[in-house]
Amino acid sequence: MLAGVTGVAGQTRAADTLDAIQQRGELRWGADAEGGAPYVYPDPDKPERMVGFECELADALAAKLGVKARLVQNQWDQLVPALQRGNFDFILNGLELTPENRQRIGMSRPYFVYAQQIVTRREAVSFARLDDLKGKPVGVLASSVAQRITEKAGGLDLRIYPGNVESLRDLKARRLDAVVLDLPIALHYAKPDPTLTLSGPPFAPGFYGIGVRPEDKALLAALDKAIEELVQDRTVERICRKYGVWDATQDRLREYRPDAVAASQRISTLREWPKYLPLLLRGAITTVELSVLAMALAVVTGLVLVLMRVLGFGPLRWLARGYVEVIRGTPLLIQLFLIYYGLPEVGIRLNAFAAAVLGLGLNYAASEAENYRAGIESIPRGQMEASLALGLSRWQALRHVVLPQALRLVIPPVTNDFIAMFKDSSIVSVITMVELTKVYGMLAMSTYDYIGLGLMTAAIYFALSYPASLFAHWLERRLRHDRR
Amino acid sequence: MIVVESLVKSYNQTRVLHGVDHAQSRGETVVLIGPSGCGKSTFLRCLNQLEVADAGRITIGGITVEGGRPPGTKEERELQRRLRMCAGMVFQSFNLFPHLTVVQNIALAPAQVKGVSPRDSEALARELLAKVGLEDKAAAYPGQLSGGQQQRVAIARALAMKPEVMLFDEPTSALDPELRDEVLRVLRRLTEEGMTMIVVTHEMQFARDMADRVVFFDSGRVAEAGPPEQIFEHPQLERTREFLSKVAKR
Repeated sequence: MLAGVTGVAGQTRAADTLDAIQQRGELRWGADAEGGAPYVYPDPDKPERMVGFECELADALAAKLGVKARLVQNQWDQLVPALQRGNFDFILNGLELTPENRQRIGMSRPYFVYAQQIVTRREAVSFARLDDLKGKPVGVLASSVAQRITEKAGGLDLRIYPGNVESLRDLKARRLDAVVLDLPIALHYAKPDPTLTLSGPPFAPGFYGIGVRPEDKALLAALDKAIEELVQDRTVERICRKYGVWDATQDRLREYRPDAVAASQRISTLREWPKYLPLLLRGAITTVELSVLAMALAVVTGLVLVLMRVLGFGPLRWLARGYVEVIRGTPLLIQLFLIYYGLPEVGIRLNAFAAAVLGLGLNYAASEAENYRAGIESIPRGQMEASLALGLSRWQALRHVVLPQALRLVIPPVTNDFIAMFKDSSIVSVITMVELTKVYGMLAMSTYDYIGLGLMTAAIYFALSYPASLFAHWLERRLRHDRR
Repeated sequence: MIVVESLVKSYNQTRVLHGVDHAQSRGETVVLIGPSGCGKSTFLRCLNQLEVADAGRITIGGITVEGGRPPGTKEERELQRRLRMCAGMVFQSFNLFPHLTVVQNIALAPAQVKGVSPRDSEALARELLAKVGLEDKAAAYPGQLSGGQQQRVAIARALAMKPEVMLFDEPTSALDPELRDEVLRVLRRLTEEGMTMIVVTHEMQFARDMADRVVFFDSGRVAEAGPPEQIFEHPQLERTREFLSKVAKR
């Protein structure tokens, strides 16, 4: 363990990553294999093996450098920060040769020419151009060229997805009217699907290049040379043809001449806070709406569950107990996926906000039910007995004697859960909700100012959750009149 | 007023009551004595259905409940509730509702169970508080009262349902000696007013003075019963004598 840690530190301190690669005889390339076809993805026939045109390209590059290639899995929209952290040697995963990327990191010469493609449902009116999509719900991959182009075009009802598979699934589920994505992905995923169609010609062509840390000049030079050789000897063409992504536009690879890139400038979002804070606050509003509604749902559903358990008999009791155990024993992420992507298959189509409230609310309901149960059980038996002895029914006894006392005991854990949910709600970005953490992520991605934005975001979370905790203290004190 | 026939109760295979019979007429005060674990508290809890007897029959104020199983149907539950309303219960640990004021404690059941209006139930509560000598504590919370005061409120709370019978389960055992008298005074007054009462207690002086009949419980059975003079002065059984001498030494 310790050896591993110092080993990594040693590599980052080496003069150039190229030396480190050659010393260890292995290059580590970062990519996202989740929904990654045809770039890099698990072989459907042999899932433990990775395939894809970038996978084979990595092997070819490694061969040129005289080493072996090893894939380091990393979420796509976090590839650049992971590179900067030193998680791998370079990014080889559909990274666009944009001015922004060239300012932040070192970019190699291109190995592939991509273009954007609009995909729609086959039976829908065809949308051949971005202008046709004004006001329509359109899905794009987070931090992709498609996101930037569609944002610049404006007027679209944009939904940001963490992966391409999800956006196409929502297109089929009619949550979207179109998806804009890189052509190779469209060719691989959408073209074979009989319900989807590539609408209009590809547009906005650009290059994919390899991303390295800015200081790794020697590595960059070695990669440039290797790519050039692989392009010239048609290895790249052979690999691309194998995956059905070669077309005439790829000829531009040979004519590529790197143009000068302006030196990168650091953006301080803290200094420019009037520009960034409102964006974050808009995300915070979604977070607040989401957590308040979800918590309201959780508090009420939890009460129903605990009453079923305390007052009910037989099947009702089992149902409540089973619900709590199943929900507690499965990840929230999976529950959200099931609600958002699974329910449409049985005809229930919720929008992302409703699905997020439902998912968070029903998940926390289980934990609220347990909080209530602990509260109720900590009220001495004598309270229930005294009530029954007076002729009150069990429900009346709960309603007038046990629950009011349990309430005070339950406030601290329920507040804790509320604050926890407040922060956990960031998980709903997986179903395209853009809340505070997602806004942070998107801004950090474009400015690379993780610290400044992180501080602002943390401050907003704190400013919102601390009053909740103060309110709970106040409420708890107010309800304590009985023990003076 | 009260007729109990062959009451049997077990907890996890251990038999606590071995077929107890008991009959009591209106206005009679019966004191149950006996060593701890002899089943006297269980007997009392069976009477107002906090425990459901395994077998036997309980009749209080004309309402009969059979032992055997918890009430299943709505009618059975209603019968159980009516029986409970006939029998007021006072617990060793008071069991006042700490989140309600003294008046609210007393007024809750009449208002919720009998539908007495808020004004009438509060008036009733104040009247009963006066009776137990605590009219000035109406607005206090239980936590602000001494143990003796709490128990007197608990008695008022039980009386508010106008029960036919009052059951006292060691009402002074949780109290410091100097606080016991104020509770016993209330019990004496109830006896004098002709309330039908069953009192489980270790207060032998109270038994001597106020009981119409003393019942000595031993090992889940009524071992010996009779007027206080007979039980205290001429106990028939060796067990009774032994118990009384132990209690006297305390």
